[in-house]
Amino acid sequence: MNQLTYGNINDKVVNSMEPPGKPWMVSMVLILGALSMGVFAWAIQIRHGLEWSGINHPVAWGVYITNFVFWIGIGHAGTLISAVLYLVRAPFRNSIYRASEAMTVFAVMTAGLFPLIHLGRTWYAYWLLPYPNQRELWVNFKSPLLWDVFAISTYVSVSMAFFVLGLIPDLATIRDESKGLKRMLYSIPALCFRGTNHQWLHYMRGYLIFAAIATPLVFSVHSIVSWDFAMSSLPGWHSTIFAPYFVAGAIFSGCAMVLTIMIPLRRAFPGFKEIIKIKDLEGMAKLIIFTSLIVTYAYAVEFFIAYYSGAKYERALFWFRPFGEMQGFFWLMITCNCIIPLTLFVKKIRTNIPALFVISLFVNVGMWLERYVIVGTSLAHGFSPFAWGSYQFEWAEIWITIGSFGWFFMWFFIFVKVMPSIAIAEMKETLTPPLRNKK
Amino acid sequence: MRLRKKFSGAWATFEYLDDTCAAIKELKNEGFDLITTHTPCPRHEIDHALGDPQSRVPFGTLVGAFIGFSLAVLIITKMALYWIIPVSGKPILSVPNIVPIAFELSVLVSIYFTIGAMLLMVMIDTWKHPVPQSRKYKNYDRFMRDRFGIAVACGGQDLEKIENILKKHQAEEVNLES
Repeated sequence: MNQLTYGNINDKVVNSMEPPGKPWMVSMVLILGALSMGVFAWAIQIRHGLEWSGINHPVAWGVYITNFVFWIGIGHAGTLISAVLYLVRAPFRNSIYRASEAMTVFAVMTAGLFPLIHLGRTWYAYWLLPYPNQRELWVNFKSPLLWDVFAISTYVSVSMAFFVLGLIPDLATIRDESKGLKRMLYSIPALCFRGTNHQWLHYMRGYLIFAAIATPLVFSVHSIVSWDFAMSSLPGWHSTIFAPYFVAGAIFSGCAMVLTIMIPLRRAFPGFKEIIKIKDLEGMAKLIIFTSLIVTYAYAVEFFIAYYSGAKYERALFWFRPFGEMQGFFWLMITCNCIIPLTLFVKKIRTNIPALFVISLFVNVGMWLERYVIVGTSLAHGFSPFAWGSYQFEWAEIWITIGSFGWFFMWFFIFVKVMPSIAIAEMKETLTPPLRNKK
Repeated sequence: MRLRKKFSGAWATFEYLDDTCAAIKELKNEGFDLITTHTPCPRHEIDHALGDPQSRVPFGTLVGAFIGFSLAVLIITKMALYWIIPVSGKPILSVPNIVPIAFELSVLVSIYFTIGAMLLMVMIDTWKHPVPQSRKYKNYDRFMRDRFGIAVACGGQDLEKIENILKKHQAEEVNLES
């Protein structure tokens, strides 16, 4: 195995940006196929209304809000890795953070579509924004849904700015490694960066501040998403545990998604094997174990509080979840989120790449189901037994969900070919610099 | 008005970081302060050799945070009082309602101010420390790969002295411009 040097890090990353081959093209066709079906289903739904989804009374939130929370959760790991792990100087961060940040941006872009899709009449989405108008219809600042509008839009802005800021030195590197038109194109976003002491000084200070600002944002955004539920007076939702429970769940699912995309990336570009080391993936696996235990604890506390509070509606709901009509989803969720991640305690499993990949897929499925169970069961089983209902998703929701994966992976596949998917400058920082006097 | 000052001085490239730092220290000791260095990644050794300069970018962040916070409080207060929406006996305006949005807007505005401050500071420093204008310097493409560089602005009478210092510290190549 070659020793990593400043020069060969550049070469490996530049090689990953060569024109795409057949596997990339085939994958892209499948991705665009999925996306097209999603767009088609959405178009049908816009034409005919939400009757084409399974949303009904009383289950007014369904797969779309599940997907919204799921994708926001996925988006959390990127900022956690790029900001929180930067502040604590976690050694496994450097090789994986760029792709994780890209994942964050694309996941939040995907999540942002779902409130619009769920709205039905998408063209009224601008009513969410507080702007002076003559309709006398005003946004309600007491509503957590409006807080969410601010939280998500801030998160999108900060994630994108953080992502772009981190890219500047690496785009300058790609510019210097390129010729002709490619060089000219990369010189624009590189913003004349040439690695001078003045540029690094202000860049590094700004980057540190970004990390410090983004850290509380990671926790605040998913807390606010959780309040969309927790501030409703509904059994299974109205709980003070929701904010930490959702944040842990978001980090849990995000870390799993990082493994889901980093492992194929590492395989697709052989040069990355020396950069994305097994111990980096193992670090993510440890984070998954940690957050899985928090999530498991939160599940247990929910049931205990339902029993201990003596609130009969709460008890009824928490009986309905494991033994009601959605019990299959519930037990699959428990298996994926609480039992399967425990296998990562075994070092042989958490350092085995195929096993890590499979476990990460299970966690992704489990975390999607968690949101589905939270949304579906509580709305179906509220305070009034005569108003209880049920929910069954329809084909439009299935295709829009699949289409959302197409949308996410389309951006990611484009990203790996046009931008450096490994943070070049930060990887160089981890190496011993070239020294004449090596003592 | 010229955005770049005319450059007179020398620039050199180095293979090793310790040679670069030693050259910077000697140049500083000799009284040459208009130094610009190039490194493929941020290195604290260079900062130490340059005398640990500090960045004022955080002031921009602070100003942005205050503006964002004030904007949030203003928007919510004004709108809540102008368009009163009674919701199940809750107060029309209360602190808990303001906190999430005030936090989010403080963060949002502060990051834009941080970016603005970074760009401004880099532009000011680059203007204060002129760099060579030659095509050879502009087209040198190994600074972001694996080479370290030093550009020193000085009067024509000091060129020889600087050249000697750079060569003494094993510079790969030294270029003089006046």
